[in-house]
Amino acid sequence: MNASRTPPPRQPRQRSSSSDQPDTRQAKSRRGARSQRTRVNSRLRAWARHHRAMALDSVRRLIRRPLGSLMTMLAIGVALILPCALWLTLDSARLLDAGLEESASLTVYLDTAMEESEAMQMASILRDQPQVAAARLVTAAEGMAEFEQALGLEDALMRLDSNPLPASVVVAPLDTSPQAVRDLSEQLESIQGVDEVRLDLAWLERLRRLAELGQRLTLALGVLFGFGVLLIVGNTIRLSVENRRQEIEVVTLIGATHAFVRRPFLYSGAWYGLGGGLLAWLLLGLGGQWLSAPVQALAQSYGAHFTVPRLDWEGSAALLISSTLLGWLGGWMAVDRHLKEIRPR
Amino acid sequence: MRLERPTRGRILVADHDIDRLHTSQIPFYRRQIGVVFQNHQLLFDRDVFANVALPLQIQGLEPHEAARRVRAALDKVGLLHREKALPIELSGGEQQRIGIARAVVNKPALLLADEPTGNLDPQLSADIMRLFEDFNRIGTTIMIASHDLALIARLHHRILKLSEGRLIGDDATVEEVS
Repeated sequence: MNASRTPPPRQPRQRSSSSDQPDTRQAKSRRGARSQRTRVNSRLRAWARHHRAMALDSVRRLIRRPLGSLMTMLAIGVALILPCALWLTLDSARLLDAGLEESASLTVYLDTAMEESEAMQMASILRDQPQVAAARLVTAAEGMAEFEQALGLEDALMRLDSNPLPASVVVAPLDTSPQAVRDLSEQLESIQGVDEVRLDLAWLERLRRLAELGQRLTLALGVLFGFGVLLIVGNTIRLSVENRRQEIEVVTLIGATHAFVRRPFLYSGAWYGLGGGLLAWLLLGLGGQWLSAPVQALAQSYGAHFTVPRLDWEGSAALLISSTLLGWLGGWMAVDRHLKEIRPR
Repeated sequence: MRLERPTRGRILVADHDIDRLHTSQIPFYRRQIGVVFQNHQLLFDRDVFANVALPLQIQGLEPHEAARRVRAALDKVGLLHREKALPIELSGGEQQRIGIARAVVNKPALLLADEPTGNLDPQLSADIMRLFEDFNRIGTTIMIASHDLALIARLHHRILKLSEGRLIGDDATVEEVS
């Protein structure tokens, strides 16, 4: 709550006098209206001036205690990292899920005794079906190769005498809703030459349930850790209010309003929140980079391409804005509670 | 000051019953009263200028206008040359005078002083009382609480005597000190 410093005033400028205007009632009311407007104007300017002063003052106070401020911001950052990381993971998993849904495919197993040319014919028959978007033939030999690769048995010495696997056609349906896919599956099973149609709807459902669970978990953790941030900021601001007790008492006796007294602490809270959010963003980025190499290697060993999800501009902005708001709110709660204890009745 | 509420009766300030004031109106009421505390209650983390400017800053006065008034108040208490000093560098009497400057900087209608000369020697006490009389002469109502009976008696203004919370005397004779 510092006053600004100005040099000693120079000679007062000549003000244009309003006495050249005729003192009619109109002129008087015009002057009155103008003065009312300037009064509102000057009140607004005073309000803006105080906000600016308090924002700068709270930053200066934070910088004056670098280690303490950094610790508080770090605590906030750590509290924000977990829900953020979960949200990121969920977001990328949701993309995976969406991709899978889009490529919800049926595997049509053909009769085992089919020749390759017959299999190719079957594939084109299936492709011509109305509800089919695409059909890809996987010959018995190809199927065996995929099987061996999936199990990591390429180098296995033990090989089977004959290939027991049938040829299959991977069919991509036009309509990926569960009911439509089920109908298509029944329809294809009735075609001659088709042994059975495998559709792993159960797996899709499970993935969707997992995604739902993950969303709820992230929300719960987000709320919990958000509350944690409120408590961290609240505690720090409470200490700050205690330290400035005398100042608050004096200023209240001189006629400061509740809002005036509260303002610097709200800004402190907001700065703590912003700093904490920045640290969380930084740590998430660093952590992501550190994890990206092993994660990519792991994914590649499964034959998938997977990169560690990163916060984009929108996500980063959301993180910073929410952390600042949380800090501001934490400050508000702490100040309101403890001002009541301090202020003279 | 609306620090206490009356258990009985009413407190009328400028014909307003201040007990009826809503909590939100109290700050605005307090802005019209200047208070001088017994232990000056200056803020030690800022210089003299900032201390005296505090009431004006609370009211949201423009910086150059506020600076003008601060310097005028400091001049009135004779400490304009100490504008940049920190309160801790000042003597007891100077600190008390800064407190008075802060109390009068926004030209209040009523000035309350609680034991303003409590920690000061007789010479300083007399100087400060003279200051109060100057303010009174230009129209400020002044109410001083003091134990220094001798000093008060010398001033020939209205004296209210309180003992154990009861009003036992109201010497309403006001003589013009020539």
